[in-house]
Amino acid sequence: MMHCRANGHDIVALANLYPPKQSGKDELDSFVYQTVGHDAIQWYAECMDLPLIRREIHGTPKRQALDYETTIDDETEDLYALLKEVKQRYPAVEAVSVGAILSNYQRIRVEHVCQRLGLTSLAYLWQQDQAELLNSMIDNGLQAILIKVAAMGLNERHLGKSLGEMQPALMQLHDRFGLHVCGEGGEYETFTLDCPLFVKRLVV
Amino acid sequence: MVNFTIDQIRELMDKVTNVRNMSVIAHVDHGKSTLPDSLVSKAGIISSAKAGEARFTDTRQDEQDRCITIKSTAISMFFEMPKEDLGDIKQKTEGNGFLINLIDSPGHVDFSSEVTAALRVTDGALVVVDCVEGVCVQTETVLRQALTERIKPVIIINKVDRALLELQYEKEVLYQSFQRTIETVNVIISTYLDPSLGDLQVYPEKGTVAFGSGLHGWGFTLRQFAKRYAAKFGVDQEKMMNRLWGDNYFNPKTRKWAKQGVDADGQPLERAFCMFVLDPIFKLFDAIMNVKKEQTNNMLEKLEINLKAEERDLEGKALLKVVMRKFLPAADALLEMLVIHLPSPVTAQKYRAETLYEGPGDDECAVGIKNCDPKAPLMLYVSKMVPTSDKGRFYAFGRVFSGTVRSGLKVRIQGPNYVPGKKEDLFVKSIQRTILMMGRYVEPIEDCPAGNIVGLVGVDQFLLKSGTITTSEVAHNMKVMKFSVSPVVQVAVEVKNANDLPKLVEGLKRLSKSDPCVLCFTNESGEHIVAGAGELHLEICLKDLEEDHAQVPLKKTDPVVGYRETLQAESSITCLSKSPNKHNRIFMKAAPLSEELSKEIEDGKVNPRDDFKIRGRYLAEEHGWDPTDARKIWCFGPDTTGPNVLVDSTKAVQYLNEIKDSCIGAFQWATREGVCCEEPMRGCRFNILDVALHADAIHRGAGQIMPTCRRVIYASALTAEPALQEPIYLVEIQCPESVMGGIYSVLNRRRGHVFSEEQRPGTPLYNVKAYLPVKESFGFTADLRSQTGGQAFPQSVFDHWKLMTGDIKDEKCMLFQTITDVRKRKGLEAAIPPLDRYYDKL
Repeated sequence: MMHCRANGHDIVALANLYPPKQSGKDELDSFVYQTVGHDAIQWYAECMDLPLIRREIHGTPKRQALDYETTIDDETEDLYALLKEVKQRYPAVEAVSVGAILSNYQRIRVEHVCQRLGLTSLAYLWQQDQAELLNSMIDNGLQAILIKVAAMGLNERHLGKSLGEMQPALMQLHDRFGLHVCGEGGEYETFTLDCPLFVKRLVV
Repeated sequence: MVNFTIDQIRELMDKVTNVRNMSVIAHVDHGKSTLPDSLVSKAGIISSAKAGEARFTDTRQDEQDRCITIKSTAISMFFEMPKEDLGDIKQKTEGNGFLINLIDSPGHVDFSSEVTAALRVTDGALVVVDCVEGVCVQTETVLRQALTERIKPVIIINKVDRALLELQYEKEVLYQSFQRTIETVNVIISTYLDPSLGDLQVYPEKGTVAFGSGLHGWGFTLRQFAKRYAAKFGVDQEKMMNRLWGDNYFNPKTRKWAKQGVDADGQPLERAFCMFVLDPIFKLFDAIMNVKKEQTNNMLEKLEINLKAEERDLEGKALLKVVMRKFLPAADALLEMLVIHLPSPVTAQKYRAETLYEGPGDDECAVGIKNCDPKAPLMLYVSKMVPTSDKGRFYAFGRVFSGTVRSGLKVRIQGPNYVPGKKEDLFVKSIQRTILMMGRYVEPIEDCPAGNIVGLVGVDQFLLKSGTITTSEVAHNMKVMKFSVSPVVQVAVEVKNANDLPKLVEGLKRLSKSDPCVLCFTNESGEHIVAGAGELHLEICLKDLEEDHAQVPLKKTDPVVGYRETLQAESSITCLSKSPNKHNRIFMKAAPLSEELSKEIEDGKVNPRDDFKIRGRYLAEEHGWDPTDARKIWCFGPDTTGPNVLVDSTKAVQYLNEIKDSCIGAFQWATREGVCCEEPMRGCRFNILDVALHADAIHRGAGQIMPTCRRVIYASALTAEPALQEPIYLVEIQCPESVMGGIYSVLNRRRGHVFSEEQRPGTPLYNVKAYLPVKESFGFTADLRSQTGGQAFPQSVFDHWKLMTGDIKDEKCMLFQTITDVRKRKGLEAAIPPLDRYYDKL
């Protein structure tokens, strides 16, 4: 999103998908979405002073192949529904910012949905060097903490640590096990506490 | 007293055909170290008077104190062969001066790794066998080792004086006893015979067997006697030798040779060996020991033995020693035998090259080794490190197989993990100095050509224990030595004073360098572990560590045993584990490997470098594997060579090859630290049945797959009735019958069992063989000695792994107890991890 603004886009609204309330779970084994930390998303809207549109995830990863075709009840369809709603409420929306770096699976699905809705997908991070990207995020004052870990060498101890604190450990794990330092392979998920786009700062 | 100069030796080094590199190997206490003394006295380094007492090659104080050899020691000797005998040498020679490089090796099984290191740099072996005790367990072990290294053996039957003086053997009985010993040796030789070497069996009539007494300094081969008698009978020397052994009888009345032991009148004849060889010796012994002065003098005259004035006054044993040494000097007999029958480096390297060199048989290094060419690229194998008087520094001890090594030469130092073309485990450095190692002394030399044994200064920092030194950029490594013992006994050491820790760490590094077999490492809970082959080995290592290498007071735990984790059945269910991001799944089942196959993998018969098709066929035919599975072995582990396999039994799975490396990594890790108590696994087979992978490569990286694969290996091991294997010693005990009861009671108390009990023919000694768990062996020697009044001496050598049956959940069984103990010691949580830690539901 920082790249979007730097490239002259205006951020109009935030959109989010969250796990269904009745399931009682905070974490879905989704192939595309981050669900951990969904209960704090509303604070993002407040921090960035932007409207937030949210929707429950009903689908499941039905189609697990790399390419995507419209599949009923697939989790991708939830994204379609969400973005459709966004488009209805804010007709000025032209594009969607995507944070995919290397995950084709994710990018293909977002692009598929965007294409159906006539939106453009903006993936400024696509295929950037992960080590450099991590560096630039930290240097640009992005403060994010780890809220979920799922890879060898990462454990509870690392939860709640900021990216800056984790950087040396992540680089080391990259050298030892080929871990993706930006968590692109689902190694970890983060929650942003502060960044240049925020007007207020989150405190945990 | 050195009667040859370094320059003389250096000159001989160039005539490689006149060099003999040999090691002395034998069972403990059969007289290995005493024997070379008489050779050294001939070469003139220690005075003749001390021969037999000085143990020149036992250089360490504790070796002298304990009267055992601990480290192998090399000495170089010079021998001038009488010109007229040169014709007997069947290989190419040049001149009559010979350089003999002799390595004395330890006989105690705990130090067999030293023997391996010694064998690597030599081409021939002098096998010493005690004439009373015969072929013992360690004789067999070292002989086997020698044969696998393609080393030609000659034997000497030692301590013949004991048979005469203590046991009062008759001539014929003695002959029979010799005959039996030689037969046993030949049985072992033919069992392990390598066809490319030809016939290596030893025959007295060919002169490859010597008889003698190292302590008294006398010895002979049939050649000596044949020479004496050949002239008398007017027959060829070779013919005479044949007649002096086996069923050849001489009838003094008719002066005719016969094949039967009776003459025409039915009178028994005396065997030629007894009549011509043993008779003079027996008579001498009788005359001298029973103080028959006149007879003695008569005989001395007849045998042309001249005594000095002061020697004439000696009596009994002292006189016997002097006389026998003049009559049959051991050095002459042995040196002759070595020079005539052992191969020169030129001869030996022709057939040894292929077993020595890892690379292709036709590159410049292989050709250099084959031809033993001093002008080819340098190929030098460092087999061990020898501590110098300078603390913390070592001489690298090794053999030049090709090329010439000289001081200041820039060389490539390749450690055991070096792979041609890569830079790992490779250093390019200069050799500071080359030296000649002679027992307690070292002498600097300018350079050293192929075929010789040499010490190097200045490469010790770059090699851990052994390695290859070369000047060729394309050189592969020389084959790594395979030790017959493994470090199964461990102790944890810590410093008494915490400030000394750095010294301990440094000391451990040095210890691990100075001994080819010892293993030093730090375990998960941060303890420093020293692992050795046996109790004695560990004791010596720890003593060295405390007194020489670290020089700080140490605390040691009781010795503990390393176990192996294994399986008893196929997994009861198909196990599944999901990756941390839940997007990848691996399905697996585990099953035990047969003991035979585990052993074959450990011995390298089935190994990761085999062609997979040949290996597949072999497994299918010999071990009843499914042919498709047999071809799809992904890897062995731990350390890529261990006795566990990972098999791909999947059918048409996409992206499978991409995760292969991660799975292999996980497999190595999991087999190194098993699920029960983090001991290495052994004899386990893991079949990957199916894999479900995320479609996008980024979600199935090593960080996701490795933990998943490891967990599923653990889960499938837990469902396959895991158990432990404990190491078992083969114990050989020689004792008189009267103390047998004591032996049985000690063994029973320690869970040992006797499986063979034989009387050594012609002696009151019994030979008991038993299996004893290594865990129960601590203090066994001392216990046995006290129970038998010091009359029983055990020799223990690691023999096999024995399954400890039981259920890991049954708290009463020994298996459970052992696992809990190990876990406690390692600082793990007491309980074995539950299945659901590794098993995921679909």
